[in-house]
Amino acid sequence: MISLISKRIWQSLLLLFLASVLCFSLVISAPGNVAILIAELRSPIVSKEDIAKVAEEIGLNKPLPLRYVGWLGDAIQGNFGISYKTGEDVGESLEKRLSITATLIAGGAAFALMGSLFLGFVGALYAHRMPDYLARGAALISASTPSFFVGALLVYAFSVALRIFPTFGYGGPISWVLPWTTIGLLPASVLSRVVRVGLEEAMARPYVLTAMSKGLTRSQILFRDAMPNIIPTYLSALGTQVGVMVVGAVVIEPMFAWQGVGELFLTGVRFRDFMVVQACLLIFITFFIVVNLTVDVGMMLTDPKLRRQRS
Amino acid sequence: MDKHSIAMKRRSFLLGASGALGLAFTKTAWAQTSSGSGGTLRVAVTKPAGDLNPHKFAGLWAAQDLMFEPLMNYGPGGEIMPCLATAWLLEDAGKTLKLTLRENVVFQDGAPFDASAVKWNFERWIGLDSSSWMNSSRLYKSLEIVDDHHVTLHFSEPPLGLLQELTYIRPVRFLSPKSVAADGAYVAPVGTGPWKQKLASESGSVFERFDAYWSEKPGFATLELKVLPDSRNRMAALRAGDIDLIGGAYVSPLTATEAQTLKSAGVDVSIKPGTTTLVLGFNHDHVAALKDPLVRKAINVGIDRAAISQVLYRGYAEVAANLFATGVPMSGTRYDVPAMDPQAARDLLEKAGWTGDGIRTKDGIPLAMEIIVSEEQIPGSRSVAEVLQSEFREIGIDLSIRSVDHASRHSDIPARKYDLAFFLTYDAPYDPFGSVVGMFLSTYDNGVDGKLFMDADNLDPLVAAAMSASEADMQSSLQKVYDWLHENAAIAPLLYVPSIWAHSERVAGFKGPATEYDLPYEHITLVG
Repeated sequence: MISLISKRIWQSLLLLFLASVLCFSLVISAPGNVAILIAELRSPIVSKEDIAKVAEEIGLNKPLPLRYVGWLGDAIQGNFGISYKTGEDVGESLEKRLSITATLIAGGAAFALMGSLFLGFVGALYAHRMPDYLARGAALISASTPSFFVGALLVYAFSVALRIFPTFGYGGPISWVLPWTTIGLLPASVLSRVVRVGLEEAMARPYVLTAMSKGLTRSQILFRDAMPNIIPTYLSALGTQVGVMVVGAVVIEPMFAWQGVGELFLTGVRFRDFMVVQACLLIFITFFIVVNLTVDVGMMLTDPKLRRQRS
Repeated sequence: MDKHSIAMKRRSFLLGASGALGLAFTKTAWAQTSSGSGGTLRVAVTKPAGDLNPHKFAGLWAAQDLMFEPLMNYGPGGEIMPCLATAWLLEDAGKTLKLTLRENVVFQDGAPFDASAVKWNFERWIGLDSSSWMNSSRLYKSLEIVDDHHVTLHFSEPPLGLLQELTYIRPVRFLSPKSVAADGAYVAPVGTGPWKQKLASESGSVFERFDAYWSEKPGFATLELKVLPDSRNRMAALRAGDIDLIGGAYVSPLTATEAQTLKSAGVDVSIKPGTTTLVLGFNHDHVAALKDPLVRKAINVGIDRAAISQVLYRGYAEVAANLFATGVPMSGTRYDVPAMDPQAARDLLEKAGWTGDGIRTKDGIPLAMEIIVSEEQIPGSRSVAEVLQSEFREIGIDLSIRSVDHASRHSDIPARKYDLAFFLTYDAPYDPFGSVVGMFLSTYDNGVDGKLFMDADNLDPLVAAAMSASEADMQSSLQKVYDWLHENAAIAPLLYVPSIWAHSERVAGFKGPATEYDLPYEHITLVG
């Protein structure tokens, strides 16, 4: 088991390295010259000499491999450089913002977990009856609606019309409700189908018949016998959805004026702030890899067949 | 009553109780977040205030305007009004400026505003490379302290638009000499203005009224700038009562469509003629056909400006034929706005030698060009380009559209890698001189803003003459520049960008700002 986990960690590190090379290549190949934008911050009217001076200062004239190696070496030591736009330490900016994004993703994941289990169980418990159809319909609509639209609708309904929640801000639990719902609704819908379909398949197994013959109710069988059988599949799907939430954070943080990593990334992309973009991408990729690694380990722990197969 | 029904009742009670508790919690928490706003004006901004050093160019204009004051204010219609200087006198044909400073003015840290504070501030920017784009800095010679309340500035030549330059937000406004570190490094934003900064973070800034302010104090105690990068969220926040004021080109831009949506929802919206012009620029270095004034004239009459106003500004923007709106000083004689006339445009192209059905050709070369658009520069400009594409096709010009982001536009415009592009004039208080010199004088490096049109032989002498004209001849010299541009169809002014603001019902007495760089809080009182 330990050797399996260490093997997966090595694979993850390799993946992280390859992903960082790819990101670096994509970021530097984007059109537009960051030196112009930086020179503009120093003086409203910039000459070609000013731009050349800035390019020299920030090392844009160095060969690309050298720039990459320099950046990676610093990043490993926790030094992500200085933001071209604000002049702030990128590491410090990330440190301030990580807890905000973590709150968003953790809350969204909790919402997705509870929402999907609720909808999935309701559907399985009342299979092919009205609650099942309603749960399925709700999941279908939520899964096909983009997050930015869901966010706008929620804000309109609960902030503008009903005035229950604030329209923006990161000022405590009350202000977290709408962002959590916005980011968690789509994964909840997708995962509810995983639960519903998984439970339906599990309920067709022979052990269910045995349980029924013992006099157990449908709900008891669903919780006690069918549920453990869908956990590995559910964990795998949950891992993917939580990873995808990072993308959602890039849209949802600016929408609710949360100064998280997603918002920082978006600002960095607009400004060609390589240092910020690279650091954010590295955080996102690391997060994705860690989530997948956790899911893999979780699946191995919950599925004896998988554990035996891999060992 | 059986055991099951008791269990059900208990569950129902718990559900009901938790629901009620939840609702009570949300209401209480909401009340907490929205209470305490009495006496606080909450303004949405798109980004944090940043480095507010008035001698640098990084901070948010609106935040700097709250704390730092100039010698003169730019009033409506370009009127130069006293602020920290009560009187001024230009002598020696404009090469000497004598200033009388306002007495009994103190900075927010108690330091006196006097001649030595003026000298200390001027020395932090005037004559430096980073400020050489300003005539006052480029032509600066010396500053002489006459007494505590009188200073005299000497220039090597009369600086064009000197008084206007002294109204800018940066780098000309005054920082307290006491507020800096021992080595002179900037530490904190401390000015003479009516607001002093209390808090600043990435999510916004809080300013409180400066009680020792020399002039009329604001009608409310606190002003908050809330960072809301998403325009939909800004609108929702205004409607929900979480924000009191949005709008302005540099504070929290509001499109005409958004303004209309807010208006129909019962929100107070102010749409007034602005002082920025949206212009279609021709790059004749890139497309030979654009060298011919007949082709440019054909494009000018082939454009439906009213349709563009409708697409971009829901018809709120006034269509343009002049480089500047009437709100800009010395904006010149008004020209008739060309009505869209495809037949006249086709005739002009025929006359220029571009013939044929469909896309016209000359010597086997098709009349094709490309327009570069950046939605970040002008939201909705892609749609305008599509309108132009269809109108150009009607007169036989093949127009392709290249959408780029802000950074790419900033690379391509100074490198002149475009055929057609949208430009915005600099707006008050920088115009008319800023745009005339920056956008038309071929010898002047205008950086990322690029050039609207260049003609070293014909246009440069006219611009140079306007730059060196005396105050009395300035208007007529500028008129010659405008006339040349108009007669040669060197540019295609499209419309005057309106100034759009929206405010909550708590805000009374709102009056639009003199320039889009200002935050219009002065006349506001809060009700309710």
